[in-house]
Amino acid sequence: MINILIIEDDKNIAKMIKATLSIVDYNGFCCYTGKDGVAEALNKSYDLILLDIMLPEMNGFQVMEAIRNCGTPVIFLTAMQDVADKVKGLRLGAEDYIVKPFEALELLARIDVVLRRTHKTKDVIEYCEIVADIDKHIITKDNSPIQLTPKEFDVLVYFLQHQDIAVSRECLLSNIWGYEFEGESRTVDIHVQQVRRKVGLQNRLITIPKLGYRLESQEKE
Amino acid sequence: MKLWQKIFLSSLSLIIIVVNVLSVILVNNSHRLLLEREQTHSINEYEFFAASLSNSVVYERLKAEKIMLNTDEVNSIILKVIQERSQSNSGMAVYDKDKNMVGSGSLNLISELPAYTSYIQNINVSDNNYSLNVFEAETKHIITVCSSLKLEGNEYMVITASDISDIYQLKDEQTEFVRKISIASAGIISLILLISVIFLLRPLSRINIYTKAIAHGNYNIRVKCNGSQEFKELSENMNSMADSIESNAARLEKIAEDRQTFIANLAHEMKTPLTSILGFADLLKIKKNVTEKERSEYAGVIVEETKRLRSLSGKLMELITIGSTDIDKKAVSLQKMIDETGSALTPLLNKSSVSLLCHTETITILADEELFKSLLYNLIENAVKASAKGQQIILDTTICDGNVIISIKDNGIGMKNDDVKKVFEPFYMVDKSRSRKAGGAGIGLALCSKIATLHHAQLSIDSKLGEGTTVYITISGDECV
Repeated sequence: MINILIIEDDKNIAKMIKATLSIVDYNGFCCYTGKDGVAEALNKSYDLILLDIMLPEMNGFQVMEAIRNCGTPVIFLTAMQDVADKVKGLRLGAEDYIVKPFEALELLARIDVVLRRTHKTKDVIEYCEIVADIDKHIITKDNSPIQLTPKEFDVLVYFLQHQDIAVSRECLLSNIWGYEFEGESRTVDIHVQQVRRKVGLQNRLITIPKLGYRLESQEKE
Repeated sequence: MKLWQKIFLSSLSLIIIVVNVLSVILVNNSHRLLLEREQTHSINEYEFFAASLSNSVVYERLKAEKIMLNTDEVNSIILKVIQERSQSNSGMAVYDKDKNMVGSGSLNLISELPAYTSYIQNINVSDNNYSLNVFEAETKHIITVCSSLKLEGNEYMVITASDISDIYQLKDEQTEFVRKISIASAGIISLILLISVIFLLRPLSRINIYTKAIAHGNYNIRVKCNGSQEFKELSENMNSMADSIESNAARLEKIAEDRQTFIANLAHEMKTPLTSILGFADLLKIKKNVTEKERSEYAGVIVEETKRLRSLSGKLMELITIGSTDIDKKAVSLQKMIDETGSALTPLLNKSSVSLLCHTETITILADEELFKSLLYNLIENAVKASAKGQQIILDTTICDGNVIISIKDNGIGMKNDDVKKVFEPFYMVDKSRSRKAGGAGIGLALCSKIATLHHAQLSIDSKLGEGTTVYITISGDECV
């Protein structure tokens, strides 16, 4: 289980982040002041800290300096768009920088990147009878390997990591192909169909009209 | 060319010219005086010679007991006289009326000169009329006096010449002396002038250095100068210029800084509710199973944050409009405005279970009614937000030294001293979470202070943490009717 500390003075934003984290089964813990955040970060072991910069009494940079020795990766959250601030944050050892306002999936994607970099995510995902070994790039179903192209593999892993979330075609494009693939969301459809056919997820990887796709989690079956 | 060079060169050349012209005039003048003396002297000599000629002729005629001597006799007398006088310094010559030389003595220096011959040929003199001339022969100057003389009925032309080379030599010597003196004095004068010019203009280069430093943005530098009066004035003026530049630069910097802070704060205040709205809306969109409880919670946050944005944009618009429009001041009853504000606040007062007690007097002030009501509304609203359930807010009006003082007193949470200083800054919130819960954006008091400034009124805050806050609006007597 991934534990994430949220240091954010605005209670509604903290609540929203916590709710966002809960949909991918991450545990969020909220602190509303810099001081509480430092105490919490030093006392308990967290996998990741989401840190707001504009905090009362003790700002995010000061918090960062106080907790940099505990080795927990930090992502800054801020309304400030100043490049100097970004540089300052990253210099202090932050892993990433998210500018408010942000979309839920962007937050999750950035958290994923940081967790993967620090090897906190699972390398092997099990879903029903399917086992995906991300490091070895192998998919097995009922212990027999399935041949997938690299992009199909990425699509499948993305769905496995974001179970029960409605994923739009644009989101898939920017996360897997890495660029805006304007007017070519057919590419996504073809890859999703290939994955469905090869892995046999016809009933679980469902199409949501006008939105995208969703992989139903196994418990709900 | 630099100023010191200009001053130096122009005064030096002026001095040299004046000195030289003066010495040349002096030399020439003394020369002229000497020459005049020599002329008189030579005329005397001439007259002496002429007299001795006539005397000799008269003497010979009497001796020969003749009525008239003939020309040859006269000529021989002339020759005799010339011979007698030929030992003296001066030369002489006598010509008959056809300009043939009768005799001459000691004239060898000039007699060969072409100028002399042409002079003799062209001269036409009458009785008692002297013609004076100066001839240059080799290194000598000879002055001649020429006139006609009647001897025994015949016209003769008599010339005497004397050497006046010494006065010309004196002139040359004096000129040479003056030249040497002027060269030497030019050297000395230029040295003195150079030193004094550089010394006098030295403060200018110092002022220049300071000015350059100021121009390069070193606004705290002041010119120190102890030169002459003009330089002192110049440096004082430079200093006052630097003062105003410094204060202006500081003011502009402050404005720029304030604006930067304002924008940063505004961005923060706008993005915070937007983050919650976008986040929860996104959650509602992508989450598969949203329970009824979650749905109402998310939607509740979205509504709450949207209201916050609405209030922020409203207040912001008000702040911007107040700054840019002229206010419309009219005589209005203070009591009426307080009553109307009180009734507008009734729903909020009821909701928070806070009571408002107003003691007003019949005072009429000059004010923009809407703005002034907004000022009262904001201040009372702040008092309500600070108060707990069941507490009381007291609004009181007093007249003190001709000024009207409105006080709004609550027994709420109060503030620390540090906070009191900052509450008028836009977006400053003493307790963010509490203020936001009450729908505040931190602009209210900034708005109030702007309205107060427009009405020439003063806002002051008296607050103790945990005991409550009193806000005073002091309206000067000039604004009362």
